[in-house]
Amino acid sequence: MDYEPISVALKFGFLAVLYLFLLWVAASARKDLKRNKGASFDGDATIGAPSAGSYDAWLIVARGGGLDAGTRFDVFGGVTLGRSSEADISFTDRYASGLHARLYPRGDRYFLEDMNSTNGTLLDGGAVTSEAEVRDGSMIEIGDTAFRFELDRP
Amino acid sequence: MSASRNRELLALVPVALLLTAGFAAVFAQNDNQLTNLSLSYGLYFLAICLATHIYIRIRLPNADPYLFPLMALLTAFGLVMLYRLDAEMGSELARDQANWFVIGLILFAVVIQFFKDYSVLERYRYTIALISLGLLMAPRLPVIGSQVNGAYLGISLGPISFQPAELAKIGIVIFLASYLREHRELLVVGARRFLGITFPPLKHLGPLLVVWGAAMFMLIFIRDLGSSLMFFAAFLALIYVATGRLSFVVIGMAMFLAGAWVIYHTVPHVTDRVDIWLDPYQDPSGAGYQILQSMFAMADGGLFGEGFAQAMVVIPGTDAPLLPAAQTDLIYTLITSELGLFGACAIIATYLLVAARGFKVALLANDGFSKLLATGLTTVFAFQAFVIIGGVTRVIPLTGVTLPLVSYGGSSILANFILLALLLLISDRARREAREGI
Repeated sequence: MDYEPISVALKFGFLAVLYLFLLWVAASARKDLKRNKGASFDGDATIGAPSAGSYDAWLIVARGGGLDAGTRFDVFGGVTLGRSSEADISFTDRYASGLHARLYPRGDRYFLEDMNSTNGTLLDGGAVTSEAEVRDGSMIEIGDTAFRFELDRP
Repeated sequence: MSASRNRELLALVPVALLLTAGFAAVFAQNDNQLTNLSLSYGLYFLAICLATHIYIRIRLPNADPYLFPLMALLTAFGLVMLYRLDAEMGSELARDQANWFVIGLILFAVVIQFFKDYSVLERYRYTIALISLGLLMAPRLPVIGSQVNGAYLGISLGPISFQPAELAKIGIVIFLASYLREHRELLVVGARRFLGITFPPLKHLGPLLVVWGAAMFMLIFIRDLGSSLMFFAAFLALIYVATGRLSFVVIGMAMFLAGAWVIYHTVPHVTDRVDIWLDPYQDPSGAGYQILQSMFAMADGGLFGEGFAQAMVVIPGTDAPLLPAAQTDLIYTLITSELGLFGACAIIATYLLVAARGFKVALLANDGFSKLLATGLTTVFAFQAFVIIGGVTRVIPLTGVTLPLVSYGGSSILANFILLALLLLISDRARREAREGI
């Protein structure tokens, strides 16, 4: 065992390099996380990833869209609306775009965003530019289709 | 743009250094001489990684910079440990594994080349699901199937043996991600709150029941608790991300436990496995031998381990193994024994970092399919590590799945590099869109 000191040195060297490497990855991963949050203006409004404090909310069909009036859609965690089958709430309306608008929670509030649709989105009669907060009882109109928004906030 | 690629390049240097140090330590111990051969192995490894890095730089300039180096680190760990076993047992596992590593990277490049638009996978989801189920069932077929320790996990075609569950896990995740992307709306509509828990309507529990049935069927049919658990966990993670409902996860886990309990009492092989887990001393020289030796070997490791090539793998003077299946099932034990608690924690930390990067990919992705696919692939990878590490440390019953990228096995290496290719494809698109502000 002439080389035992070398063996021991290599073992501790191996562990040291290994931990330094893992710490470096973990540290730069944290930096990376921050930078991306700053870059995107609604970083936590990702569809399908409900934020911690969000409440249950529903969209209820008021008229049109080839849907039965009164149909309830759960929008917990956010949904997309539009004519395309890609949309989470898909309906038929000749004035609706494929992916027309999206609804998403941020904290305990819900927001509506028009996704550059051709004919625009109305919230309580007013056109939605970029994003607007939706409140319990708000009406969302897309073409001839209208939804009522219900928020289950205790 | 190239900042993330430069980070990847920088990260590959310490990985190659670790491989070199590991090989040098094994050399020093076994041949009592330090040759520059270990240095050349390190250089080969670095060259292969560099070639892959250049390919990623050209094809996926925006992809996550840490996933590939972390997976290369796991492979390097595996190569050092296999080389150390070779030196003792005269086998050539490390050379085989290195070949599989190269083939795996070629397959990785092929997937990136042909599935740049991975949404085509959605179109073939039923085909993919059928092939995956076929692969899972193949080990039970009369001629090609083979049984190892009572579980049906491998098929052998002539000289080549293969673990089809490794590939099937990717196919099943693709299917589930695609199915849930389309049907998640159905699953959350009409949910009712009761006692503070949101329950899905009964009629929509259908998909949950089907997958639960499939997991139970696997448990009976393949008799492997580990892979059954792995698939079901991936499914629960996906359904949680798709619906945001914890109740699905709670109901699913309760169903799995209930089903597993019934099967424990009815399928003899599963009964044996669980009994040995609960009390390995009932048969210390037979069925309990592997798990007991694993625990003793890990205890020998202490804080910093016995050093490379120092753990006892075979009983001195004989060919009888002290650590049965040290190259596959017990490779984590071997690492713990030789590098101690610190080495073991480093391996687990590496898996955690892979999982963190994978979920980060899912968070950044814009469309539902990408999100679900990234979540599913990451979960199945991380859970596989949990199942085998949990198995050898007696947290759960020991099963025959591989420690991803570390254990010896071609199918495991190939499948995990396909998985990495898909994750990087999703990550490249997501990070490009995030940068452009979409």
